[in-house]
Amino acid sequence: MNTVYFFILVPMVYIAFAVFIIGMAAQVIRVLKKPKLNASLRIYPEEKPRWFWSIFDSILLPTVWRHNKALWFFLIAFHASFILVFLGHLELITEMKWIQLIKHEIFLGKGFVGLIMSIALLFFLFRRFISPTKELSVPEDYFLLVLLFLTVVFGSEMDWARRWYDYGEMSVDAYRSYLSSIFLLSPKIADVTTSGHSFMLVLHVFFANLFLMFFPFSHLIHSIFAFSLNKIRRG
Amino acid sequence: MEKRIREELLALFKSKLSRPMEMYLETCARCGICTEACHAYASMPLPKYTPAYRAEVVRRIYKNYFRWQGKTVPKAGECKKLDETIIDELKEAAYSCTGCRRCMVYCPFGIDTQQIMSIAKLLLVGAHAEPELLSLLADVSISKGESIDSFKEGFLEGVKNLEEEVVEKWRHEAGRTPIPTEVVGAEILYVALAGAHSIIPAAAIFNAAKENWTLSFFEAVNFGAFVGDPTKTKIIMDRIINEAKRLKVKEVCICECGTAFRVMSQLSGSRPFKVSSITEVHSRYLKEGRIRLDKSKFNVPITYHDPCQIARNGGVIDEPRYILSHLTDNFIEMSQDPKYNWCCGGGGGLVALGEETLDFRMKSAKVKAEQISKTGAAILATACENCHTQLSNLNEHYKLGMNVQFLSSLVSDALAK
Amino acid sequence: MNETIKADKVMDLKGLPCPMPVVKVSKGIKEVAVGQVIEAISTDPGALTDFPAWAKTSGNQILKTEQSGKEIHFFIKRLS
Repeated sequence: MNTVYFFILVPMVYIAFAVFIIGMAAQVIRVLKKPKLNASLRIYPEEKPRWFWSIFDSILLPTVWRHNKALWFFLIAFHASFILVFLGHLELITEMKWIQLIKHEIFLGKGFVGLIMSIALLFFLFRRFISPTKELSVPEDYFLLVLLFLTVVFGSEMDWARRWYDYGEMSVDAYRSYLSSIFLLSPKIADVTTSGHSFMLVLHVFFANLFLMFFPFSHLIHSIFAFSLNKIRRG
Repeated sequence: MEKRIREELLALFKSKLSRPMEMYLETCARCGICTEACHAYASMPLPKYTPAYRAEVVRRIYKNYFRWQGKTVPKAGECKKLDETIIDELKEAAYSCTGCRRCMVYCPFGIDTQQIMSIAKLLLVGAHAEPELLSLLADVSISKGESIDSFKEGFLEGVKNLEEEVVEKWRHEAGRTPIPTEVVGAEILYVALAGAHSIIPAAAIFNAAKENWTLSFFEAVNFGAFVGDPTKTKIIMDRIINEAKRLKVKEVCICECGTAFRVMSQLSGSRPFKVSSITEVHSRYLKEGRIRLDKSKFNVPITYHDPCQIARNGGVIDEPRYILSHLTDNFIEMSQDPKYNWCCGGGGGLVALGEETLDFRMKSAKVKAEQISKTGAAILATACENCHTQLSNLNEHYKLGMNVQFLSSLVSDALAK
Repeated sequence: MNETIKADKVMDLKGLPCPMPVVKVSKGIKEVAVGQVIEAISTDPGALTDFPAWAKTSGNQILKTEQSGKEIHFFIKRLS
């Protein structure tokens, strides 16, 4: 069991990050190498400045707001939560004063951020079972949602246990000692493998590793291309 | 399918993989927001008529041959092999899409289904499974360009026959030809369609505005673009570009034809001349006071159908409204936001295919007919030949009782002396 | 003028929208036997360039083009 824990918490994390970073870079380079199209694919009327509106379109999803308010609500809630969770993980590496401008115990949102993400992911998943989204979806789409859901649920569980059920065996400091050690390339896993909740962390990290590795090779590449595509539409 | 044929088709596929195309193919999250954008789906709610589904037909081939997924876990993305069965699917996808790009306005990423369908169309051309008629029409245009000298005389004679009608609409000025051709150094080269209805009103308005113009030998429409053959598209377009260069004109004015305008103004890079739609030119004449219109000519409510390739995809949105404000005090908007106007249902070569596509065109444009009917207008104006034909068909099929008119005809009929 | 040409089928293509004259004549020619002649009537000057180009592309033959007033009469022989 220890070997499995070690593999997931240390080498697999490095492999996942390497795959993620190299994969993302390779994807972007691959596309950049393709010839430009000598044509304008924009939609009129124009609104200027175009760079501003293309960022606006990419972040606030006005087209979704116009056509599907429920989906817009969950999409914004999900993506905003994603950013908060990302910041939370940065704080697990080291103290970040600029994030603490809003004073909080690590992970903003008192556990609700993870809850919102989980609910949003279930919403995204279940709407794929309804026609015509059903006919559009491919196994990969379900797989990614389930994978992310599992990552979020096991991750949040640790937060919820601490906050809502006074579970005290693994503290923020324990997580921080693990994650910062990973980033300093001198991995220490002792603090996070001895508690009864360790399996939660291990599963969270396992699913997160998988998610990172699939990320560059799936439509999640929209995290980058959304901006360029919206710029093309804006002209 | 033979290996050699498949390889040829894949080479064609690869030739379409530009930077934006790669991103269009990579990014779709299959969220389905685009479903309601398509008039075909809105009129006939079948999944195959959703924009994302059409794109998936192409995307699944892409993933199979150009991405790792096809080589590792093809099932995860339902990757598809390129074979005979997929040709039918490609045809259904490509020729149920009018390329109106309304779905592009819905998509959170702005994915261009028309672009993706251009791959499907090219594969069909490669597999000799495209609508023959469209290829024939493209070839006719090309043949005309190659041997224009042998057709010139007949054309000029035909044009002469129209002069009388032009003069009926607008008095003849001494020393001017009602329909000038081959004028070197003209301000405007007007590229019409083969029909007299595309030449007579335009000529009358040019003459009323005292424009120094010249009529092109070629028709504006680009059937190469309809059938999705980039080589033919370019040859057909170059005929006009070369003519414009030879005559050293300052501006090329495209008649009421959406495809012609979009291809020339948006899809072909920069030119040594200005490209305008005839609607823009007419609006300019009104602004500059070069023509005046008699508002009492049409005392009925008028509505206007924005042709997709001219408005949403070409940027000519305010100009027709400006013209209409000089034609009537009773203009009725069809769509709250012209960007969201429903497609007429006849684009992408469907109208050119005539009777063959009539049934689908009528069924898939039910929402369009309803939208038109709601305006309660008596005259339905538009500025695209393709839309005009389709709208006339809808008018008849759904018994809308509208008077379908070209905007340019309304202008020429209302010219104030 | 050669008065001997007799059309097996007459098609009125006056005032049709683009590209219907060519579309209709393409269909129409298939409805007569090889060697038979159709007479297509148009008022569009574009037809004067379109029809010869179409005949060349589709491998048919225009026997005669006759202009009477505004009307243009094409006599087209099906060759293939």
